[in-house]
Amino acid sequence: METAIVPRNWIVAEFPTPAGLLEAAQTLREGGLTDIDTHTPYPLHGAEKFLGLKRSRVPLIALIGGIVGGVSGLVMQWWMNGYDWPLNIGNRPPFSAPAAIPITFECTVLFAALSIFFGTLALSGFPRPYHPAFDAEEFRSHSTHGFWLSIALPEGSDAQNASGKVSELGASLVKVVQEQVE
Amino acid sequence: MADPHAATAAMDPLEPVPLIIGQYTDATLTQSLFGHVWAKPTKGWLIMFALSLMGTGILGISVVITLGWGIGTWGNTIPMGWAWGIVNFVWWVGIGHAGTLISAILFLFQQKWRTAINRFAEAMTIFAVMCAGLFPALHTGRPWFDYFLFPYPSDTLLWPQFKSPLTWDVFAVSTYFTVSLLFWYLGLIPDFAALRDASTNKARRLVYGMLSLGWRGSGRHWNDYKSAYLLLAGLATPLVLSVHTIVSFDFAVSLLPGWHTTIFPPYFVAGAVFSGFAMVVTWLVPARQFCGLKHVITLRHLENMNKIIMLTGMLVAYGYMMEHFIAWYSGNVPEWDQFYDRATGNFRAIYWTMMFCNVVLPQVYWFKKARTSIPIMFVVSILVNVGMWSERFVIFVISLHHSFLPSMFKDYVPTLVDVGLLVGTIGMFSMLMLLFLKFFPAIAVSEVKELNHELAHAHVRPEANPRQSGA
Repeated sequence: METAIVPRNWIVAEFPTPAGLLEAAQTLREGGLTDIDTHTPYPLHGAEKFLGLKRSRVPLIALIGGIVGGVSGLVMQWWMNGYDWPLNIGNRPPFSAPAAIPITFECTVLFAALSIFFGTLALSGFPRPYHPAFDAEEFRSHSTHGFWLSIALPEGSDAQNASGKVSELGASLVKVVQEQVE
Repeated sequence: MADPHAATAAMDPLEPVPLIIGQYTDATLTQSLFGHVWAKPTKGWLIMFALSLMGTGILGISVVITLGWGIGTWGNTIPMGWAWGIVNFVWWVGIGHAGTLISAILFLFQQKWRTAINRFAEAMTIFAVMCAGLFPALHTGRPWFDYFLFPYPSDTLLWPQFKSPLTWDVFAVSTYFTVSLLFWYLGLIPDFAALRDASTNKARRLVYGMLSLGWRGSGRHWNDYKSAYLLLAGLATPLVLSVHTIVSFDFAVSLLPGWHTTIFPPYFVAGAVFSGFAMVVTWLVPARQFCGLKHVITLRHLENMNKIIMLTGMLVAYGYMMEHFIAWYSGNVPEWDQFYDRATGNFRAIYWTMMFCNVVLPQVYWFKKARTSIPIMFVVSILVNVGMWSERFVIFVISLHHSFLPSMFKDYVPTLVDVGLLVGTIGMFSMLMLLFLKFFPAIAVSEVKELNHELAHAHVRPEANPRQSGA
């Protein structure tokens, strides 16, 4: 490694209610912290508004995947059966659009679905074997019943000061963890 | 925790059974849904698993015989080039359809009762399509050349014939399997994460951790996830309708009496949903009992399923009616002859089994007592699948065995290998279902918790209509 990566400090904090968590996230975000995230067992209604998220890019990815799939499915059938090696089946035209519809449809769905699935994983950065939040053992309740907030503190900021702020916002448990850098 | 039945007792008797019985917090709900995953396998499970392994063994033997000696070991003869194998194929694909219907179509219709049963039904879809795929793959005779079915640049310079419904089938079934698998896995990711975090030992945490791909319930990820889930549901909906439509084209585009009819696509789709829902009920009844899931899979869920079974059963009955009417109305003698032969010929027992199981039997569900009786629904759900298997036998085998000329009339007798393949796939399906029930979250845990949260929220707001969430 040429440049040493400075490990960042993370704050993870549990909140007793989803509403408290969302309000805290919004307050901290408006206070200038950018790397804020919520961790909840199920999606919270309106979380994207509190976190200041833009519209998901998944629909666009799906649209592109679907168009690519549909066009390539149709062109494939035309090229293979109508152009490269025309097949005479019962003296029908080598390529006829109505007979190509089922496979064109299936290819559209297949490509769109694959791009949705892998696109979503890619947008979320999965698979991801390590995340600093898991260094706090209590954080594991985020997937079963806890409502958690995580903040990646900017370099050089005071972790004690920040965690005090989070406590003031109503967190029932606040922990500071340090990123592990290999 | 309060008495789990307190909520039911306090309810208005005219209100439907709640979707989640009892008062649960997120933590207790998670615990109750994972209980069976952590518990040691019960004796009942082990016995069932042993039986299903035996079934899978029978499948293995039958496949080895088929591969070693060829398709001659099946009962197929000319003119019955398609027989038992294709019956099984269509039957299994049809069973798969319920999973997608529950997870995608009911999701788009915002039917909240789907939440507890969707994961389970999706798993069923995947296993059923695996069983289905086996039959056409083996029926090619030399399955090691099955890659010929896909368009790849071969040294013969030939491409697949895309005007054939059989080629459409290859694309439809493989797309269906892939999309179902992706949809299922996407739904499982948050639940694998919950299993990972609730795990008490290292091995489990590692395995479920890998399966969860590092999910951490991030608000940013949920934002994309919700969008992806909705879109996949939207794609799976036309897909599931297309799959059985295309399967029915295999028959409808031919000129054979009994096959050459335009009603096939919708009639096949209705039949698929009918048998699939029946299979879901067959499995849900014991699963909710033995996995301790009665509080989230309530009688209301089962009753709703039975209503859909009755509805689709009547759609199937309408299909039969039109099929017979058009045969008569066509004035086509071989058509007349075919339908006469179905009801009175050698295979009349199978025809009347089909009529009884698919048309008469579902009518018991007009009565609420039958819709909510566990023994009745268990028996009916099994018989519906017997009926649907018979239907495919009637359509495929009887049509082939009695076509245009008396010189083409032939009897059909299945062989032991045929029976072995059917029993074997049932064994394999059961084995996979049992493993799924034991090691995977059989209930969409995060979705049920979300539902629980919503229902609790709805109670606070008196203006919210509780009926809105029901079927």
